[in-house]
Amino acid sequence: MFDADLNERQPRIDRVQLVALIGLMLMGAAFVYSATMVSESARLAPWYNQSWFRQIVWYVIGTGAAAALCCLDYHTLARFAMIVYWCAVLLLVLVLFFGTVRYGARRWFDLGFFSLQPSEFAKIAFILAQAHFLSRPVEELRVMATFWKALSLMMLPFVLILKEPDLGSALVLVPTGLAMLYVAGTPRHYLARLLGGVCILGALFVADVLFMPPSWQVKLEDYQRRRLMVYFSKDYAPPNAPKADRERLRKQQFDDSHNVRQALISVGSGGLTGKGWRQGTQNALGYLPRAVAHNDFIFSVIAEEKGFVGSVIVLTLYGVVLFCGVRIAGQARDRLGKTMAVGVVTLLFSHVFINIGMNIRIMPVTGVPLPLLSYGGSSVLGSLIAMGMLQNVHIYRKAY
Amino acid sequence: MLIFDQLKKDDPQLRLVAVLVLGGLSVLLAGLWWVQVVSARDYQANLEMQSFRTVRTPAVRGRILDRNGVTLAENRPTYNISLYLEELPSQFQAEYARIRPVRTVTNSSAFWRRWLGAPTVKTQYVKLKKAQIDGLKRQARYSVASNVVKQVSLRLRQPLGLDATNFEDHYKPRLSQPYPVLTNLNSAQIALFEEQSTTPMGVDLEVRSSRYYPYGTTAAHVVGHLQFDDSSMEGEEAFFSYRLPDYHGVVGVEYGLDKALRGMAGNKSVLVNNVGYRQTENIWSPAEPGSNVVLTIDLRVQQEAERALQNAHGAGTRGAVVVMDVQNGDILALASSPPYDPNWFIPNLGRTNYDRMVELHSEKNRATQEHYMPGSIFKLVVGLAALEAGWDPNEIIHVPPNPAQPNKGFIKVANHVIKDTAPPGDYEFKRALKLSSNTYFVTCGLRIGPEPIVRMGRLLHLGERTGFASTRQEVSGAFPGLRRLNSGWTDGNTANMSIGQDPVLVTPLQVAVLTSAIANGGRVLTPRLVDRIESPDPLSGTPPLILPRTPVRGQLGVSERTLAIMHEAMLADTEDPDGTGRHVRDQAPLPGLRICGKTGTAQVQNESNVKIASTVWFASFAPYCPPGAHEKPRYSVVVMVEGGLSGVSGGETCAPVAGKVYAALMERDRTTNRNAEALTKLN
Repeated sequence: MFDADLNERQPRIDRVQLVALIGLMLMGAAFVYSATMVSESARLAPWYNQSWFRQIVWYVIGTGAAAALCCLDYHTLARFAMIVYWCAVLLLVLVLFFGTVRYGARRWFDLGFFSLQPSEFAKIAFILAQAHFLSRPVEELRVMATFWKALSLMMLPFVLILKEPDLGSALVLVPTGLAMLYVAGTPRHYLARLLGGVCILGALFVADVLFMPPSWQVKLEDYQRRRLMVYFSKDYAPPNAPKADRERLRKQQFDDSHNVRQALISVGSGGLTGKGWRQGTQNALGYLPRAVAHNDFIFSVIAEEKGFVGSVIVLTLYGVVLFCGVRIAGQARDRLGKTMAVGVVTLLFSHVFINIGMNIRIMPVTGVPLPLLSYGGSSVLGSLIAMGMLQNVHIYRKAY
Repeated sequence: MLIFDQLKKDDPQLRLVAVLVLGGLSVLLAGLWWVQVVSARDYQANLEMQSFRTVRTPAVRGRILDRNGVTLAENRPTYNISLYLEELPSQFQAEYARIRPVRTVTNSSAFWRRWLGAPTVKTQYVKLKKAQIDGLKRQARYSVASNVVKQVSLRLRQPLGLDATNFEDHYKPRLSQPYPVLTNLNSAQIALFEEQSTTPMGVDLEVRSSRYYPYGTTAAHVVGHLQFDDSSMEGEEAFFSYRLPDYHGVVGVEYGLDKALRGMAGNKSVLVNNVGYRQTENIWSPAEPGSNVVLTIDLRVQQEAERALQNAHGAGTRGAVVVMDVQNGDILALASSPPYDPNWFIPNLGRTNYDRMVELHSEKNRATQEHYMPGSIFKLVVGLAALEAGWDPNEIIHVPPNPAQPNKGFIKVANHVIKDTAPPGDYEFKRALKLSSNTYFVTCGLRIGPEPIVRMGRLLHLGERTGFASTRQEVSGAFPGLRRLNSGWTDGNTANMSIGQDPVLVTPLQVAVLTSAIANGGRVLTPRLVDRIESPDPLSGTPPLILPRTPVRGQLGVSERTLAIMHEAMLADTEDPDGTGRHVRDQAPLPGLRICGKTGTAQVQNESNVKIASTVWFASFAPYCPPGAHEKPRYSVVVMVEGGLSGVSGGETCAPVAGKVYAALMERDRTTNRNAEALTKLN
């Protein structure tokens, strides 16, 4: 209460959140192990080359990066916000030209030992830049121009990521940006209009893709269109298609919905308590495609092997991390910290919601990783850096 | 709670964020609850459907034994060389990688050349369409599999081929099942295959059980045969992904006792991966082997009956022999000719065998499955009826000579001339029976009227199935009922019936029942073919199911005097030098055995009353026992042969067959006695 240096660094991190994060990382390592050790080639690889070990290495690197971030007051960090932001944008532009193509998308820089996915870092850079931009006086926020500038700040990475194409990663920027705008104090009517506009545009877009004749449709990658159709259970075949076409399209639809169907079967067949660690058959028998089981569909593996109990544990851990984040936002020293914390919380939440939702078919399939659980260096590093930022806001919070 | 503190604070924006996050997590939680708890069962079913294949495994079929325990139908292992496809996918993959077209690309972009110096050269897989990839994969699979087959072929030192279409047809729907490369190996092939310790990858010897009839054609009609049929039986699991080959009985004992013989099919489940290769196998319920069936047939008698019958009227004789124990109804032999081999049906009936069977109608069990006019052997029934109705056996009936054939008799009934095969002269009962006088028995029938004859026939259950076993091989024959006598029945009908012609049709088995009833004092028995059903495991301790012994179906209620007269007349038929049945001893001496018999010849006419064929009979029993004797008649032997227009007769064609059967029966008795003596000595 009578602490002399109120504004100084208080070396206390949010322990509750830290425990939840450690829990998530332990689960991540365990289930990446379970998901990848089923294939013979994975088992035969030297231990230091196996996915679970690489995942742990990334946890360590990420934790180190987060700890390093905590050494600097977030105000200091915010000074570099725009530099970081433009660097990220530059990377996003470069990846469009020099990135490696995998699964039909140009999202990665192949660095040999590691593929860097710039969009993961762009999300953080965007949060930092947006928070910095919105930390200006409230009066300025009421000016229309500021609002538009903030929006452009969001739209630039959004469009670039969409271009890769990576619809999922692009879409998570929208709720993040909106939540930050809202919390920072942007007038409600701006936001209401924006939200309304986004909703109408989204509805028009979906309706256009699903119901319009092909010549009227928005240019969209074929697989993206098909994913949407799978999600809305819309027949591929137009009603007047000839029989052979109909057969072919029906088969294709069945194939395309394979991942979703198998993920759902994995989750559902786990039941209440699951089949036990490394006992899941969906993954072991290859029904759940091996290429995605340990990253985008890691939740299916957890849910199958640990059942509803495991799912609840995962949700609880994320819940703890998220509400600690909200509390950190509430205790933040200023609007910069609060906005930054809310940005991280919303980003994390969007990932969790879209990823788990896609496993139980309440969201369409988009390549969004589950933070800290999914295998992947960029994703783990990005998530841990974001957590570092959150802790940073906590450590340099206002002291009562 | 600590982490919800923020919601209480007065910060509406943060509160909204927290509420939205909480709401989102709740939606996920509810969704997970729905999927993982409420509908978990559906998804588990889904999982099972896509990753389990159930396989029906038929039980080992029970054996069929003769009364002395000789095996008539058994199972023997058949060896197949099978390809276990789940061991090969890595080879398929490697072969695919090998045959996939590649191209060499030179990274010759000017930019890179300048910066990196030399152009980079690398090989790259050519991008293919899905159909091309499928085609290549098919090709890879086939070449790997045919390589393996080639190795097997080298080892067996015989050419083996792998049919590409056949292989592909198996690969697609039955991937988790082994592919048969060579079925039914002989012992030399098995030895060649097994002599080296290593087998080619993915190949193994597979043993299956298959039905085998060691005596081939012997008792084939009684035993019956099987047909490929792997459908589920009552009380079995109905849905299987695959079924291993199984057979069901079609006719004969194999059909009638199919349920007991078949046992209970088991099922196993095969866990398959996403491509369909087998991972593990799990037996849910093992197959329960079927029970053994012990018949009343005596193999030696059966064999002799068949041998004698098949040579009765040249090669390809069509006919039947029934040997029955007159005291208890046990069928000791039931032969039908021409024979067929039930082994032909395993694994399936080929074209040549099918044609052969169709041509000869050899699948018909002529002892039960065809009915014939009895001809003169029906005079036994007429005789019984007449004697019971008070007919005097000593009354002399004069038979006039036939003007057309002065050495034969005749009778005119309602302007119809009925020819006689017996000479003209005076007849009393015994002479009439042994010479088989038509005139005598027509006169007799007309005098007593049709009713007593029909009543007697009904007591003998003529025109009804004997119900000896549900072998799907029995016809009922035909016999008029009493009601038929009131609707347009004429004397001509009575005359025809009296000599065993038109309205009467019988099976040889019915004749055996009839003869037995005369022999055993008037008891009409149900023939007994199956003695007992035993557990396949002698140590199981389950008592065998014994079918009722001596099943009496009815009593004739005729007097002993009547039977004594009948016996004596039938004895005269075989023992008197002019008896029609005297040929019974032609080919077998039969010392000390006195046989009572009756021959018969029925004329088969077409619609316009033209004779087209004849059926000849010999119905008999032995030994003859005079009234008051301690011994009792034991066996009845009925022989029937389908003959052409001429050259056959009951006495000359059938009686010698019966004689040979009696010789076999005497031999059987001697063996039994010897065994009994040896046993008493031992004790």
